[in-house]
Amino acid sequence: MIKKIEQINQSATAEINSVKTLDELEAFRIKYLARNGLVGDLFDALKTLDKSDRPLMGKYLNDLRNNAQSLFDKKKEEIESNTTIRQETDDLTLPGRRRWIGSRHPLTQTLDEIKRIFYKMGFEVADGPEIEDDYHNFEALNFPPDHPARDMQDTFFITDKILLRTHTSPVQIRVMEKQKPPVRVIIPGRVYRNEAISARSYCLFHQVEGLYVDEGVTFSELKGTLVTFAKQFYGSSLKFRFRPSYFPFTEPSAEMDITCFLCNGKGCRVCKQTGWLEILGCGMVDPNVYKYVGYDEEKISGYAFGMGIERIAMLMYGIDDIRILYQNDIRFLKQF
Amino acid sequence: MRISLGWLKKYVAINVSPEELAHSLTMCGLEVESIEYLGAKYNHFVVGKVIDVQKHPKADRLTVCQVDIGAEKVQIVCGAPNVAAGQTVPVGLIDAVVPRDQHDPNGNPLKISKVSLRGVESNGMICSEYELGLGDDKEGILVLEASAPIGVPLADQLGVNDIIFEIGVTPNRPDALSHIGIAREVAAIQNIKLMLPAIDVQTNDTSISDLVKVIIEDVENCPRYSGRLISGVKIGKSPLWLERILESVGIRPINNIVDVTNYVLMECGQPLHAFDFDKVSNGTIIVKSGIDDFNFTTLDHKERKLRPDTLMICDDKKPIAIAGVMGGENTEITQSTTRVFIESAYFLPRSIRRTAKYFGLSTDASQRFERGADPEITLWALNKAADMIISIAGGTVLGNSIDVYPNKIKEKEIVIRISKVNELLGITISKKEIIDLLTKISFKLSNKESTKSNPDLLSLLVPSFRPDIEREIDVIEEIARMHGYDNIPVHEITKLRLSENNPPKDFLPIIRDCFIGAGLQEIVTNSMQPISIATLASDNVVKIANPISRDMEALRTSLLPSMLEVIRENIFKGNSSLRLFEIGKTYYHHHSIIGEYLPQYSEKTQLLIAFTGNQNPLRWDEKPRNIDFFDVKGEIESFFQKIFLDNIKFIHYPNTNALSERGVHIEINKEYAGMVGYVRKEILKQFDIENEVIFAEIDIEKIINKIKIKRHYTTLPKYPSMIRDIALVIEPNITMDKIEEAIKASGTSLLKHIELFDTYSGKQIGDSKKSYAFRLEFYSEDHTLTQNEIDGVMNNIINELEHKLKAIIRR
Ligand SMILES: [Zn+2]
Repeated sequence: MIKKIEQINQSATAEINSVKTLDELEAFRIKYLARNGLVGDLFDALKTLDKSDRPLMGKYLNDLRNNAQSLFDKKKEEIESNTTIRQETDDLTLPGRRRWIGSRHPLTQTLDEIKRIFYKMGFEVADGPEIEDDYHNFEALNFPPDHPARDMQDTFFITDKILLRTHTSPVQIRVMEKQKPPVRVIIPGRVYRNEAISARSYCLFHQVEGLYVDEGVTFSELKGTLVTFAKQFYGSSLKFRFRPSYFPFTEPSAEMDITCFLCNGKGCRVCKQTGWLEILGCGMVDPNVYKYVGYDEEKISGYAFGMGIERIAMLMYGIDDIRILYQNDIRFLKQF
Repeated sequence: MRISLGWLKKYVAINVSPEELAHSLTMCGLEVESIEYLGAKYNHFVVGKVIDVQKHPKADRLTVCQVDIGAEKVQIVCGAPNVAAGQTVPVGLIDAVVPRDQHDPNGNPLKISKVSLRGVESNGMICSEYELGLGDDKEGILVLEASAPIGVPLADQLGVNDIIFEIGVTPNRPDALSHIGIAREVAAIQNIKLMLPAIDVQTNDTSISDLVKVIIEDVENCPRYSGRLISGVKIGKSPLWLERILESVGIRPINNIVDVTNYVLMECGQPLHAFDFDKVSNGTIIVKSGIDDFNFTTLDHKERKLRPDTLMICDDKKPIAIAGVMGGENTEITQSTTRVFIESAYFLPRSIRRTAKYFGLSTDASQRFERGADPEITLWALNKAADMIISIAGGTVLGNSIDVYPNKIKEKEIVIRISKVNELLGITISKKEIIDLLTKISFKLSNKESTKSNPDLLSLLVPSFRPDIEREIDVIEEIARMHGYDNIPVHEITKLRLSENNPPKDFLPIIRDCFIGAGLQEIVTNSMQPISIATLASDNVVKIANPISRDMEALRTSLLPSMLEVIRENIFKGNSSLRLFEIGKTYYHHHSIIGEYLPQYSEKTQLLIAFTGNQNPLRWDEKPRNIDFFDVKGEIESFFQKIFLDNIKFIHYPNTNALSERGVHIEINKEYAGMVGYVRKEILKQFDIENEVIFAEIDIEKIINKIKIKRHYTTLPKYPSMIRDIALVIEPNITMDKIEEAIKASGTSLLKHIELFDTYSGKQIGDSKKSYAFRLEFYSEDHTLTQNEIDGVMNNIINELEHKLKAIIRR
């Protein structure tokens, strides 16, 4: 009996090495491990043995079965995982088994950082459509028909009155139509401009709009909020300036510049030798806008601001061609 | 708008550097985008005198010149045939950059360095007109006036050391579209006086009214029309100084008359138009609209079809100019013109804007009229032009001017509240300070009766050149601007009164993190694409009426095509194993009314994931395996598990849609929410992709409102669970979902979990069949299960499987 156990053990150990496929493995299982396989037969033969020999032989047989089973299991795993022979190695400097790594697109990373800062200041996120009507994109934002301010934004039209929004500002109107003050929202989103595509401009880009309307909001507070944002985002040592500008839906309107962090304000190609980088447009909400949404301009005041995410991302990461953001070359995306 | 510093200085004394001036203009709202130093291109160029010219010892066509450049003498080897001793010449010294290289086919710049020409040292270059960018003459060197002082910078000698500011004038500031307009701001900033040149036009004895008759029929659109007549002019080239100053501000010189009108335009912002008076029938000018169906040829030789709302300048027979936009060919100034009628009018902005848009014509004149010109400046501009014309083109000005101005435009009067100024800006500024700031920029106090008793009120008259100022808020902006935005304090403490709306939770970051954690890379793609691509996924395509190109004529209806483009480009660049995702919008146009915001348009936020290439990065102990369907499906299942979304069903549809084949639909509560599938071979071919691409798309809105935001804790089981494995052999048409359903239906409440852990098909079970093995987990909330109890449930399950699915249980 012992001899037989030994023989079967040896042949099973030898045979398993030649097994390559699941079919061959199944044959191995039937030959050794099935109920009427070689091992099973021996168990049947156990009954014929002398009662006193049975426990010891039983133990040997169990060992045999376990060994055959483990050979089978190991092989099965090996074939199924389609691996070549997984060798034991002493070279622990071999690389580990890495996984693919993913990341957020640089535009998402930039936007997330902007959002994080405004969340801390009590802003909520609002959303609106990219396909807009003339009313929300222009008219209610105090761009009258036949007004040259409309030339500031080259527009893609779907029909005479339906267009692709040229800024996220129409969402200001949509929010105020639905909600009474206080309103404190940021509005991130995709906007479109019908401009020739070049290293500096693309036919679409992303903006973050901000709107705060409440009782007694001042221009001074607008400056405070944006300076806080800029210091959080660009670093607390930055210098800034606000200068007058023009947007039909804010008055007074301003643009905010920060010292160029590429040349420390000395003047370089990126800041066009001025030492300043324009980072956002802002202003106090024009009273005409309140008329469109039914707010009482005498009781409330507010401010709005907007910034381009592509521009900020390009400045932050030193990207000199906006198109690369939309090419999604994996070698580019892996850098973020 | 290009503004010449030299020109500005005619109207205002400038006591700061150009850079400081640029900064203060920027800070008061006239952004100086760049400063161009016209003289900079003549750095290292000086006036020199040729003292001696000798033949080059080794080259016949070269000469060796000794040139006096004031402080020293330099030796220059010269190739020009006309060089001679005694000439005063422009000399480029070492390090000078010659604007145009005569020997370069493209005329690129050339930097001068010390060279040896066939053994003779040369330390500079004597330049031609072409090389200096002053003209086209390449034949020889430019010879300067003999009186030119030796050694002075060439830019000074040529009078080209002006500085040009490029100013971005916002649409609300038409008053700043001229040199006087900018000078007015500079005077306000520096708190000094603006000096306007006095004009005294010499006229002859004939009165203009004997020859010219002006009738305004459309007074609404043309409130004022002024004109002067000049006879006996000689048309020709303008003097050099005029051509050069116009060129420096970006205007092409044409002839002396047109150049004068352009000069006056750039000087004071009033557009003028010059007519050849002999071509104006009966000396009659009629301003009217209502001309329909008439083809009119403008100065640019284009024929334009008039509309009834186009305001036209006509004589008694025909239209002669599109008012405020462009003149007509039929009355153009030509070489033979001798009598010139100069028009100086004020047109209504809206009317000009409409016309300019309709014709797609934007001219220096239309830009100013549509933003709002100054109605009170017409005569000043006219006189300035007339005065300049007789001094440049000769002739005499007829007595008097025409000035039809039936209803004088009233000065605007605005009352502001001092308290409002302070409240809105968050500053403390007194009435007196406000008056000081506003009078600097030409506002006048009107002392309106009703405001006298209330010290908080201030009534003001707005200068005629500020059409943008109509309301209190417009004045507040002027106060803020003149006070200086930088002098408004930065108030960093803001009250935190949150809205009572509870904003919806932003799930997108959670979704994004889930896939990034699984090793997927986020991409962001263009939402515009060709119509042929957009129609692949839906017929409800949104088309753009004025696309940039055919390639971007429609909005996407699926995220897949732009994803495939990204995959192709990356494979092309050598990266063929890709795991990508995008969260973005798709857009639809409907014929019925269903949009959330606009009746016929809707937008969906979608998630798309796509895999191609290897499942894992290369590993030293593992053969690479291509991704397959179940890799993608697994990501989606894990995602649903992560966001605790159940009730998900994957329904197998053999022929899914135009973009995909062999896939499953994802349904949540029987509603379509997305799909997982193989990209169709034909589509892959269309996108030049040879490898297999498997993707999943999910309609984000469909899942977001089903995510259970509030989690609720369930007590952990107190009693141990029991595991049983079961393997069954079934016909190939029995799918996993059916088996799972059968096991669940028969497993009683004790069955808590089913997991497939093995599948097999092969000889041992008969070629046509397949075997699935499941691990089942049982437990009870109130007692420890006995073997018997589980055996009972197992028998139930086996029964169900055997009877419903004809399964054979492997033991
Ligand atoms: Zn810089």
